[in-house]
Amino acid sequence: MKTGLFLIIGLIVLTSICDTISQICLKTTINSLGEFSSRHLINVLRFILKLILKPKAWLALVFSTLSLIIWLLVLSKADLNFAFSVDSMHYIFIALGSSLLLKEKVGGIRWMGTFSIVVGIILVTIS
Amino acid sequence: MLEYNSNQAIYKFKIMSKKKITLTILLFLIFSDILETFTQFCFKKSALTGSEFDIASFSQIATFLHSAITSPFLWIGLLSTISTFVIWSTILSKIDLSVAVPIASFSYILVPLTSIIFLHEKVALLRWVAIGFILVGVILVSLTSEEKKEPA
Repeated sequence: MKTGLFLIIGLIVLTSICDTISQICLKTTINSLGEFSSRHLINVLRFILKLILKPKAWLALVFSTLSLIIWLLVLSKADLNFAFSVDSMHYIFIALGSSLLLKEKVGGIRWMGTFSIVVGIILVTIS
Repeated sequence: MLEYNSNQAIYKFKIMSKKKITLTILLFLIFSDILETFTQFCFKKSALTGSEFDIASFSQIATFLHSAITSPFLWIGLLSTISTFVIWSTILSKIDLSVAVPIASFSYILVPLTSIIFLHEKVALLRWVAIGFILVGVILVSLTSEEKKEPA
């Protein structure tokens, strides 16, 4: 039972990491494309076309699919509430990844907000 | 003097348009969340159209896949996935990833809030506390956000 629990937590960590990698791949690709005005739909479509021609965007899709498969595996074994509360740690992975790899400025207030959300999600799933 | 005034006006306009973008982004994030839930619903629905099948039997798997592919829910689900991707990518081109992802957690309180407001459900104190934590978190994170300006 104990090993089963550790396995499930391990899988949830893995699905969170996969999702974080996917988001960071997507964000770096988008950053490399530069700015555009989203007021016109034609610009948005042109931007999406440029985006899907980048191999890294497809890498994001691969990791996102991997994350989904592991998540479905977790859900087939674990309680939904438990899975969701452990999964809330992926907000911390995203903040860490954004600050270390994307060089986004994650200051004290943003960290506080992120932690507040994590606490809130854990409370919402156990209540 | 005139130049100073016009500069000030441009500055004010920039602040105003910045606020407007924040609200638009929030609305799009919520919309993208709802769309994602809808996607899951469609995929589940398309998987349910087939009858129970034995995973060891190829012919039964083929029948299941055939009924899933011919189900309109699968195609609506795919369309909705693509729309979510387009909206999410556009949002990411405007704001930091460490802002977009936390703000998307707004969906966690959207469902409880709608059931409170529209269904008049009784909500336990702990859930109110949880909603408060998420709300405070989303507000704190959005306060630190600086969107990229729209190029002309």
